[in-house]
Amino acid sequence: MTGNIPILKIGRTLLVSIQVELSDAVAESLQNDVLSAIERSDAKGLVVDISGFDTVDTYVARILADMAKMARLMGADTVISGMRPEVAATLVRMGYTMDEVRFALNLDEALALLGHVLAK
Amino acid sequence: MHTRYMRILKFDELELASRRAFFCVSDADLQRLAGLRPFAERHTKEVVDAFYELLLGHPETAKFFPDELAVKHVKKLQSEYFLQLFEGRCDLQYVENRLRVGAAHERIGLSPQWYLGAYRRYLEVLRGCLFADYGPAEAVAHLESITRLVFFDMSVAIDTYIAANVDTIGRHQLAIRELSTPVIRVHERILLMPLVGTIDSMRANQIMDTLLLRVVEEQARHVIVDIAGVPVVDTKVADSLIKTTAAVRMLGTQVIVTGISAPIARTLVQLGVDVSTMHTRARLQEGIELALEMSGKTIVDRARVGS
Repeated sequence: MTGNIPILKIGRTLLVSIQVELSDAVAESLQNDVLSAIERSDAKGLVVDISGFDTVDTYVARILADMAKMARLMGADTVISGMRPEVAATLVRMGYTMDEVRFALNLDEALALLGHVLAK
Repeated sequence: MHTRYMRILKFDELELASRRAFFCVSDADLQRLAGLRPFAERHTKEVVDAFYELLLGHPETAKFFPDELAVKHVKKLQSEYFLQLFEGRCDLQYVENRLRVGAAHERIGLSPQWYLGAYRRYLEVLRGCLFADYGPAEAVAHLESITRLVFFDMSVAIDTYIAANVDTIGRHQLAIRELSTPVIRVHERILLMPLVGTIDSMRANQIMDTLLLRVVEEQARHVIVDIAGVPVVDTKVADSLIKTTAAVRMLGTQVIVTGISAPIARTLVQLGVDVSTMHTRARLQEGIELALEMSGKTIVDRARVGS
């Protein structure tokens, strides 16, 4: 159960906006839920917005990075958007750089990066 | 100035009590010193004259007193300073007074060694006067009380120099921090951070934090870090560049490092630094062009467009 973290679908993109601090357990179940959602849908992209995080530990970061890699295996490209400066600084200082993941400044750019065009 | 020094040194009632205990400055000593006031007044001229004889006899210290008038002026101040030893007090007010005098000496560049040497002369002359005026046992007891307060004074004087240095270093660091990490917006959503001077670990952190904040503020898509002004690029600098690049990338922004001269390129390869994750260019101009190109823009010659 991810509780209050909804997984939204816009066109062929899944959107997860995490506005709460992720505990290890919630992060793990989020990973499961997202992967099942990809399996069920025809999603080609996944955007994870983490602008609500002001801290993150390497374990949660790893879960997110792994989720991106797993999604890729299932045919969905992942972009993480909205990382805050202090979170990026902390991760790098802990030696974790999430090399395999793509990033965007905000939701708009994340969708643009995935080539997602919203209906006008 | 001296009140700031009091703050830097955390000189409060607690510190005063602890220091007085360490230098054995008791209330009995202070009482005795107050009682010695007439003696001190009798000998002020003698002590102060001997003091300046020492200072004027050394070229390094004599240069602080250019003429007769200056000597006369400082002798008067010195007399006051000397007599304050015999006021029978050793409270925060006293310490602040001592700090003020110390700060004045620090400001004109009179270093601690001269200060300490001068104190020794004080004690030497006072000893002579005490043994001339009192019986041996009494003179020894008086000298002990004076010595305690003089050493207390010396500790405060040394602290003044330390506080002044701490203060100076603090102000310099602040100035350096402000000067050392400018971030310039060169084009819509393209930032430039020109780095000049040596990069130590503190500055490396500062660079990263400033850059990350500015990237988000400006929602910059590209950041150019120009290292042409960094004199030495070693593993530490390379490491900080890689970390900064990685952190900026996690925000969704790309870093272009420019100013990679031939020696820097050689060093990076010889150090085995993996710079494959970075976009690099030799010159800043090329960096700007690359950033524009990556944002789908280009600089065109107007004459050519017209033709």
